[in-house]
Amino acid sequence: MTRRILVVDDQPDLRLLIRLTLRALGEVSQAASAEAALAALAAATPDLLILDVWLGEGISGLALCRQLKDAPATAGIKIMLLSACGQQSDVAAGMAAGADHYMVKPFSPESLLAAAAGLLEG
Amino acid sequence: MINHETLHAPAPLPADEARRLQVLIDLNLLDSPPDERFDRITRLAARLFQVPMALVSLIDAERQWFKSRVGLALAETPRADSFCAHAILQDDVMVVVDACRDARFANSALVRGDCGIRFYAGSPIATGDGVRIGTLCISDHVPREFGEDERTLLRDLAGIVANEVAALELKATVERERRSAAAVRTLLEHLPDGVLMLDRDGVVVSCNPAAERMFGAPARQLAGQPGAFLLGMAPQVVARREGDARRADGGSFAAAVSIAEMTLDGQAFLVATVRDAAWHRAEQERLRAANQRRHDFFRTASHELRTPMASILGFSELMLKREFDAVTGRELIDIIHRQATRLVGLVNQMLDLARIDAGGSDQMHPAPLDLADVVGKVVAALEDPEQAARIVLDAGPATAQVLADPLRVQQALANIVANALAYSGPDSKVGIGIVPSAHGGRDGVAVTVRDQGVGMTAEQRHQVQEAFWRAGSLPDVPGNGLGMTLVREIVAVHCGLVEIGSAPGQGTVVTLWLPLEGPAQDAGARP
Repeated sequence: MTRRILVVDDQPDLRLLIRLTLRALGEVSQAASAEAALAALAAATPDLLILDVWLGEGISGLALCRQLKDAPATAGIKIMLLSACGQQSDVAAGMAAGADHYMVKPFSPESLLAAAAGLLEG
Repeated sequence: MINHETLHAPAPLPADEARRLQVLIDLNLLDSPPDERFDRITRLAARLFQVPMALVSLIDAERQWFKSRVGLALAETPRADSFCAHAILQDDVMVVVDACRDARFANSALVRGDCGIRFYAGSPIATGDGVRIGTLCISDHVPREFGEDERTLLRDLAGIVANEVAALELKATVERERRSAAAVRTLLEHLPDGVLMLDRDGVVVSCNPAAERMFGAPARQLAGQPGAFLLGMAPQVVARREGDARRADGGSFAAAVSIAEMTLDGQAFLVATVRDAAWHRAEQERLRAANQRRHDFFRTASHELRTPMASILGFSELMLKREFDAVTGRELIDIIHRQATRLVGLVNQMLDLARIDAGGSDQMHPAPLDLADVVGKVVAALEDPEQAARIVLDAGPATAQVLADPLRVQQALANIVANALAYSGPDSKVGIGIVPSAHGGRDGVAVTVRDQGVGMTAEQRHQVQEAFWRAGSLPDVPGNGLGMTLVREIVAVHCGLVEIGSAPGQGTVVTLWLPLEGPAQDAGARP
């Protein structure tokens, strides 16, 4: 069965980078904001969500993460938070929001791939 | 061979000599002018005892000095020659009937010299605490007998001298106390801190003028009020506590209060010292805000730098480890190049900000500047001719020159123009106008940059000048949020203004205003 991965980031270059990196794992779709992500989620439930913490305007990645983990219908989606904020308090806040993994930018595509594969198998 | 001088033995020192001398110094009598209150006693003694000499002698460390003298030309003699130095060694009257027959005095200069003293009778003068400072004494050139009645008389007269000394001592003490009390009162009156004295129930007993000013009522009105009400805290001993003190008119003020215990005439009181803490509090708040801004800046700076680095590192690693076709590979290198350029731009802007932040107006090199020229240079510097074609110059009449740093102003305007181009449609126009304009009584020139873009909400307008903010929902806009922060800093060191007028969907107008007279010399005048 094909795995579905949704990448949510406001930076188009990073969306491309993640898509290229993870395409071996399954079908990768993308959204530029939390609102767009919610619309995509309504259409099809992904197995893994790669979610940027800072999405500029609107709902933050952190809030979206909490919202999805709190709702029974979406609680099963694995969520990897991605952020340029790498302080311990930032990571702690991300894990507190229910994230399954927290990855700090910049990151090595190989480690992103390994972490994503781990989440999909786990 | 016997030397006459060596036969003469000076009197030994009293056991309380050090204290005795201190009392004498404190009395301030030595070398003071003649005083009738003592002179009348020596005159009386000379008449009463029918002697040629009567003296009030004070025994100093090395001499005896006569506070009052009848029949003696000398104002003082060495202590070693003194009869009185012996007389103060005992409680009662000392009598020397014939000095020539007394081994202690036979060789004294006072006996052998011009004074020719043969008879001496002296009664010690004791102060209240029993210290014998000197004597009242009489003497004669001939030997005399001195009976019990006469001793009593001399003792009584010496008692009167002692009373006069005590009166002087009391007067001096009272004067000292008065001066010290006056000094303390003056100190309290001039103290910038308010001082309230509270009784054991915490009720105000008295206060100083500073407290009257702080609490807005005269002392007589403050007296009787509960200290807890005025101080805004329980009246109990405290090293320092900040709170809101209450004025008589019901208003309040930030106060730092210290309360200590004191005892006056056996009664316990509290003394509250009140310092107006408003300035202190405002300063703390300013510092806190500055620290917060700095903290936010570094946090955001780190975030902004990591974002292009994520692309550069990520794509370069992908290219090293995977195979891509030529077109895709070129696309990825293009991204890496673009993000690296963005990174350099960010670093340069951060360095500019740091330089302005550190140097203020010292880093400025103001020169008379025609803003139309600067706008021309900004437009000419646009690399993309399609972008340059969108600029519409509203060329009005020539404006006066402003005193400003040409490079900095160009940098600021370039940022504003770049933002206007970036946040509006690729086919829309960006209008630039230059008009004379006065602000706060200062003449100046305003440059307006008007776009037809997405516009901003009030909140976004506020945020746009904070470092790194940008219209986040527009993912295709290159550049970074440091631009407007740089604009703000440049304008601030020129003592100018930057204003943003915008509403969502209505486009944005950014106005940069600079005063004709240029940046203030005093960097402290920065807003």
